[in-house]
Amino acid sequence: MLSMHPTFPIERSLPMSRLLLLIAMFAAFTMTAPLQAQDASSTPLQDALQSVQADVASPSRSTVPQVLAALLQADAPGTVDFLRAWGDRAVYVRDADGLFFYAQDAPDRMLTLIDIDSGASVATTSSRDLSQIRPNAGVRREINAALVSFELTHPDPARRIAALETIARSPDADQIIPLTAARDAETDTRIIGRMDRLLDLLNARFATDTATRIDAIEGLRGDINTEARRVLNQTLQTRAEFASEIPAGTNVARIRTPGEDISLVDAYATLSDAGLAPPRPGRNAIRDALRANVVDGEVGGVPVHLLTTDERRREAYRALQEAGIVAPLVTEADMRAAVAEYVFFDAYLEADPVVTDAARDSLDSTRTAISFWQFASLSLDALSLASIFFLAAIGLAITFGVMRVINMAHGEFIMMGAYTGYVVQTVIPNYTTSLVIALPLAFAVTFAAGVVMERLVIRHLYTRPLETLLATFGISIALQQLAKNIFGTQARPLTAPDWLAGAIQVNDVVSVASIRVAIFVMALGFLLMLLYILNRTRLGLEVRAVTQNPGMAASMGINPDRINMLTFGLGSGIAGVAGVAIGLVAQVTSEMGANYIVQSFMTVVVGGVGSVFGTLAGATLIGFLQKGIEWFNPANTLAAQTFMVLFIILFIQFRPKGIVALKGRAAGD
Amino acid sequence: MPFDIPRTTATPAASKRSFLHENPSVLWFMGLLGVFTLGVTILSEGFGIGLISTNLVKILGMTLCLCLIAIAMDVVWGYCGILSLGHFAFFGLGGYAIGMWLMYARTEINIRDSLGRGTIPPTELEVSEAVAAQIFGVVGSSDLPLIWTFAHSLTFQLAMIVLVPGLLALIFGWLAFRSRVTGVYLSILTQAMTLALSLYLFQNDTGLRGNNGLSGLQNIPGALHVPQSVISMWFFWASAFALGAGYLLFAWVVAGKFGSVIRAIRDNEARVRFLGYNVEGYKLFVFTITAVVSGIAGALYYPQAGIINPAEIAPIASIYLAVWVAIGGRGRLYGAVIGAAFVSLLSSWLTGGGAPNIDLGFYRIVWTDWWLVLLGLGFVAVTLFFPKGIGGLFDYLVRKKP
Amino acid sequence: MSTLLEVSGVSVTFDGFRAINNLSIAIGEPELRAVIGPNGAGKTTFMDIVTGKTKPDEGKVLWGERSVNLLNYSESQIAKMGIGRKFQKPTVFEDQSVRDNLAMALANKRGPFSVLIWRPTDRDSARIEELAAEVGLSERLDDSAGILSHGQKQWLEIGMLLAQDPRLLLVDEPAAGMTPAEREHTTDLLKRAAKTRAVMVIEHDMEFIRRLNCRVTVLHEGSVLAEGSLDHVTGNQQVIDVYLGR
Repeated sequence: MLSMHPTFPIERSLPMSRLLLLIAMFAAFTMTAPLQAQDASSTPLQDALQSVQADVASPSRSTVPQVLAALLQADAPGTVDFLRAWGDRAVYVRDADGLFFYAQDAPDRMLTLIDIDSGASVATTSSRDLSQIRPNAGVRREINAALVSFELTHPDPARRIAALETIARSPDADQIIPLTAARDAETDTRIIGRMDRLLDLLNARFATDTATRIDAIEGLRGDINTEARRVLNQTLQTRAEFASEIPAGTNVARIRTPGEDISLVDAYATLSDAGLAPPRPGRNAIRDALRANVVDGEVGGVPVHLLTTDERRREAYRALQEAGIVAPLVTEADMRAAVAEYVFFDAYLEADPVVTDAARDSLDSTRTAISFWQFASLSLDALSLASIFFLAAIGLAITFGVMRVINMAHGEFIMMGAYTGYVVQTVIPNYTTSLVIALPLAFAVTFAAGVVMERLVIRHLYTRPLETLLATFGISIALQQLAKNIFGTQARPLTAPDWLAGAIQVNDVVSVASIRVAIFVMALGFLLMLLYILNRTRLGLEVRAVTQNPGMAASMGINPDRINMLTFGLGSGIAGVAGVAIGLVAQVTSEMGANYIVQSFMTVVVGGVGSVFGTLAGATLIGFLQKGIEWFNPANTLAAQTFMVLFIILFIQFRPKGIVALKGRAAGD
Repeated sequence: MPFDIPRTTATPAASKRSFLHENPSVLWFMGLLGVFTLGVTILSEGFGIGLISTNLVKILGMTLCLCLIAIAMDVVWGYCGILSLGHFAFFGLGGYAIGMWLMYARTEINIRDSLGRGTIPPTELEVSEAVAAQIFGVVGSSDLPLIWTFAHSLTFQLAMIVLVPGLLALIFGWLAFRSRVTGVYLSILTQAMTLALSLYLFQNDTGLRGNNGLSGLQNIPGALHVPQSVISMWFFWASAFALGAGYLLFAWVVAGKFGSVIRAIRDNEARVRFLGYNVEGYKLFVFTITAVVSGIAGALYYPQAGIINPAEIAPIASIYLAVWVAIGGRGRLYGAVIGAAFVSLLSSWLTGGGAPNIDLGFYRIVWTDWWLVLLGLGFVAVTLFFPKGIGGLFDYLVRKKP
Repeated sequence: MSTLLEVSGVSVTFDGFRAINNLSIAIGEPELRAVIGPNGAGKTTFMDIVTGKTKPDEGKVLWGERSVNLLNYSESQIAKMGIGRKFQKPTVFEDQSVRDNLAMALANKRGPFSVLIWRPTDRDSARIEELAAEVGLSERLDDSAGILSHGQKQWLEIGMLLAQDPRLLLVDEPAAGMTPAEREHTTDLLKRAAKTRAVMVIEHDMEFIRRLNCRVTVLHEGSVLAEGSLDHVTGNQQVIDVYLGR
């Protein structure tokens, strides 16, 4: 909208005063509207328009107020739509009877006429029988302003809020007056607040009076809203300029010293572009000039085959220059001399330094606020990542802790859980129900798979931990390929129910996806459940006993085979549930497990083997670390991961047993 | 029976005899390798009757390189007990080191060729800028990264094949071994190192063309007119020679007292310390020298493969390496060779469409789909039932004939 | 007889449990010494400290004429200085031949590079034969150590200890699981070894110690309870209370 108007800045005041009047009238009419509606005809809008037919059909700026007055008086439904269509050149007049219609394209260059009151298709006519009403730019501006007023004073608060949002999306100097008027008439305090803010935004940009503008800019201080920031940034826009001396009244943002803030070559290029200095032949230009002046295998007396260094090329070029064939070379000294004549600087587009100072000030405090909120947002992200790592790793930690067995197929159990969720969703279309069923089912499926694997493979390899690692790796590649054979290579969707699909928007900087909150809650739930099982149940007691001293536990009558089987099943089952959770935020593919397995190992190793709290600490550390590194280098998540792995390698140097280490002889060697 | 088991060496008189006498398996291996090389040469397109396609020669040459890294893996894991999941990273680094020269030198030749056709010969700066623009255009850059400063020098890049993997192994090994990280922890740590390296290489701005990797490595600068059928044989011979030399080196290393010590470290590290051996030093020595050999194997492999990218370095590749060695039989060098050759050739055959699919009536077994399942389960079976791998079969042969 | 090893004021705590409590003990060269004590008296932990496996919380372990503090050295360095250790459970390298086991223990250079180029000299071979004869394994030199009997493994380990040519031998329960004839052989071995060096034997078996016929140190709860001839300590009421009487 902004671009439509700059040609009419002077005429602004006159129609505006008229509009104000109209708004007042409109407000008066709204009160009596129900009364009038009773005796309305079936085509109130058409009737009202026919009363000012000529003014509608061929509108000019001076006649628009009459039309608006007529419409206000009729207060017919569809008035706003009509005004919008009128402005958008979507209203047609039938030449035969002068009635107004909307129209739709029909085949054979015909138009389908649509009644402006009922919205029903009335007839199909040749476009020759119709005239399109084409208000000019000035008229359209009038119409749009009227529209704003209409909407801002609409009896329905929802409509008023919608109008405010429209203004916020495409702010315009013209809106200040109707908005101020509407604000004064407004009674809803909630809407008043919004209007004040919007007025600040508009005033900060468009107010003609400096004091008002600065007030508004001050009002935006610390406001992290995107619109507020955009307004301030727009106020602080600069343009690179140069002059022999800085002209008076220039609002200078910064002065650029050639060689420091701007390269000498660039500064000189600016001058030569402006025709203030001879252009400098660059390497390419020199080459092209030489190429164009080869005579008998020589250029300026230098044989062509010798022109393989810049030195000789310049020599040949100088010869050409002396012959007056080419533009002279520009040496560095020449450039310095030329550049020294001028000052290079960035100037604010806004001429008033008071305004830019205030804006800069406000923006600074906004930036501080943003940093704070970004930090908060980052922490939430990190927490969510940590939850996922925790869920992915805790199963591994349990099996590793109790059995000293690295289960390389753990990632595939995660994948299995996710695919279980997917299969359940294909059977049960209701996402909530299917999720409720998928979680325990995924646990059951992977629990069973874990038990089977323990019985068939791992049991036979207890004394050979490295071979367990390899055997489970064999299972891992077999499972991965099986999943690929069954489900194909493309990603399968695992859709969250609607109530988990949205995001909790704290403000313009911080928003958390509901699903991540759910995963956090789930991780917390598992943490509590595991703590309960390990510390308050018989099974937990036995598991802890086996963890700390398998031989002694066995001699105390604990059956380690049974404990191992159950533990392995439990660890695998949790992986399955984690798979459902991860599947909701990531894609379900046959390789998804592999993506998490190394991180899970890191989590376990960093946290310390065989401890729930260790895994929690490891997951938290790794989650926060990864997000923290991303914060410093947001463009490159790969770099973040690289640095994280390097950090972990170093970390293990200093705490080989992890954050929470078992002590004493039980820790073994 | 000529095949002996490296573990039962040294009869009283044998200590006076030569190394090859003590280890007849080395002679046998060398003989077979020689016969194989000769056979392939005679059957090749480039130098023989053309029964073996150039493509197959390349596959065989690459397999020899894989055998070489497999024996390195066997020494570090089968003999010294360090299950390294990082040796394929060293392999890849060797490939990158030579790939840089191959790519730079070939591009430079092309650029000089095209620029030289202009009226004015190019300057060195113009050449290197054009080379950089051509190589790095794909990652949206036209500057030559710092690590490519000496890419034009074959000598320098050849040195890098050895130095980069060697130094990385030395530094990483020193850190890991001195903090006495062992067993499963050490494996995970090496895996982390591999992951970090591949993630690093995946980035576009690290100067190795991100996930595009280096390509066109089969074209050898200075021999661009030589047909691939001949070049493939050159590399085949080089690979065979490297495998032979590597085998000899490692057989010599593990046969003597050094082998005795590293096997002792594998079996009981603490006890070896109490005998007065600096266990960390030995591990570091083995880790580094095997890393260097892996780098050399990679430098021979990738010119035959033609392309290298970071996916090659991913942790999974190093795990496959362990799988080959386990299937072939740990703790014996020829076992590693058998494992690497058997599994990688079988994999090429089955996934390359060479093997016929099996129609069961109700289901059609497509090998490209089922090969990994077969490998995974086969691997579990080997670990459970044949811990000595395929190489273990030779023990039966030896025992039958006293 | 000069003092070879002097442990003074050493304490070590595992998770609040004081395994060694202000222990002071010394041994001369040559000397044969038996260390006895109930389970948990800290006998094995004492050996761990001397050989560098466990670092104590406080105290000093001084070695040799120049009184080097061993706590600053690693296991392998301590072993190279001349302290050999035999574990409770026989730990020989079962995958390798008796000859290789002995060759590894021979007092030669221990660095990776010198080991890499090491080939047995005539002197080395002769020494291996000699040691094998001494521990009675001449016939088994080229057998894998894994197929030896339990007693033979113990001797092989003692043989490996002797091959190291240490000045101090720490021997943890050498007679455990041996037949009477094997015990006698072991006693002879140790007594012969103690003629030229210091030998410290941890043992439970009183009969075995009596046959060693040497000075005895009794440990209890991580410190020395009594020291002297076997008759002297077995007469000590405290020793009878905590150890013999049970």
